[in-house]
Amino acid sequence: MNGDEQFARARAGDTAALVALIREHQRSVYSIALRMLGSREAAEDLTQEVFMQLGAKIGSIASKEHLRFWLRQVTANRAIDQLRHAARFPMQPLCEESPLFGDGEEADPLLQRHLRGLLAELSAPARAVLVLRYQEDLDPVDIARALEMPINTVKSHLKRSLESLRTRCGKTTV
Amino acid sequence: MSDDLETRLTRALRPVAPSEEFSARLLARVGAEARLATPVLPLRRRRPAAAWWWSAGLAASLLLAVGIRHRAAESQERRAGLEARQQVFAALALTNQKVDLAVRTVRAESSDAP
Repeated sequence: MNGDEQFARARAGDTAALVALIREHQRSVYSIALRMLGSREAAEDLTQEVFMQLGAKIGSIASKEHLRFWLRQVTANRAIDQLRHAARFPMQPLCEESPLFGDGEEADPLLQRHLRGLLAELSAPARAVLVLRYQEDLDPVDIARALEMPINTVKSHLKRSLESLRTRCGKTTV
Repeated sequence: MSDDLETRLTRALRPVAPSEEFSARLLARVGAEARLATPVLPLRRRRPAAAWWWSAGLAASLLLAVGIRHRAAESQERRAGLEARQQVFAALALTNQKVDLAVRTVRAESSDAP
């Protein structure tokens, strides 16, 4: 069964096909939630909410590509809302053993850890822009559509965030 | 420097999988909710309502045609029966006339005899 057929079956109410779609996309959704919210528990809650919403809305999703875009959009925007309005999800410092970011096989794990800490200090929209750009490999136009931001705002977030990270990395490790 | 930073960001933000336990719970829950919420449609296309109306109309037309034909056959049979009956009556009347004539002739001949 190819992807299009699987999507069509999920849309028609086939539970097994829906479960297969979720299995395919859960890594991406969970990772966006995790990088945005900084806590495994909060990320799991958000991932579950997003997929429950998908179960109810899949009839209004037109294609596989639309589904991928919709999942990223809903996850990122819900995460931004949670960070803005709920004290329930404070950013937690990442402990040494935490596997939240990467898998520790990089040459400079200390620098990576430092980078992740700096990322967590960015504003919610700036963090979402960086996560969608460097985790999901979206271009600025798609990020602007997903976050419903003007393209210039996306570019500005990218530029300023990279400058900030570069400066702060340079001060400490680079 | 910039490229180096972007490469490091890409590595640092590589997607990670949720725990197996969470994944299993999520799939079970979404699957259960979907089964409750959405009836599974059969894979073959459902017959549209219009087709049902066409089928019902065709069946009704066939029944009507059979009924009309049956009625016509009955009517023709009845007409044939009436015609046969009239012929029988005509034949009886004719026979009666002949017999009556014969009787009268015999009687006349009897009264003429000395």
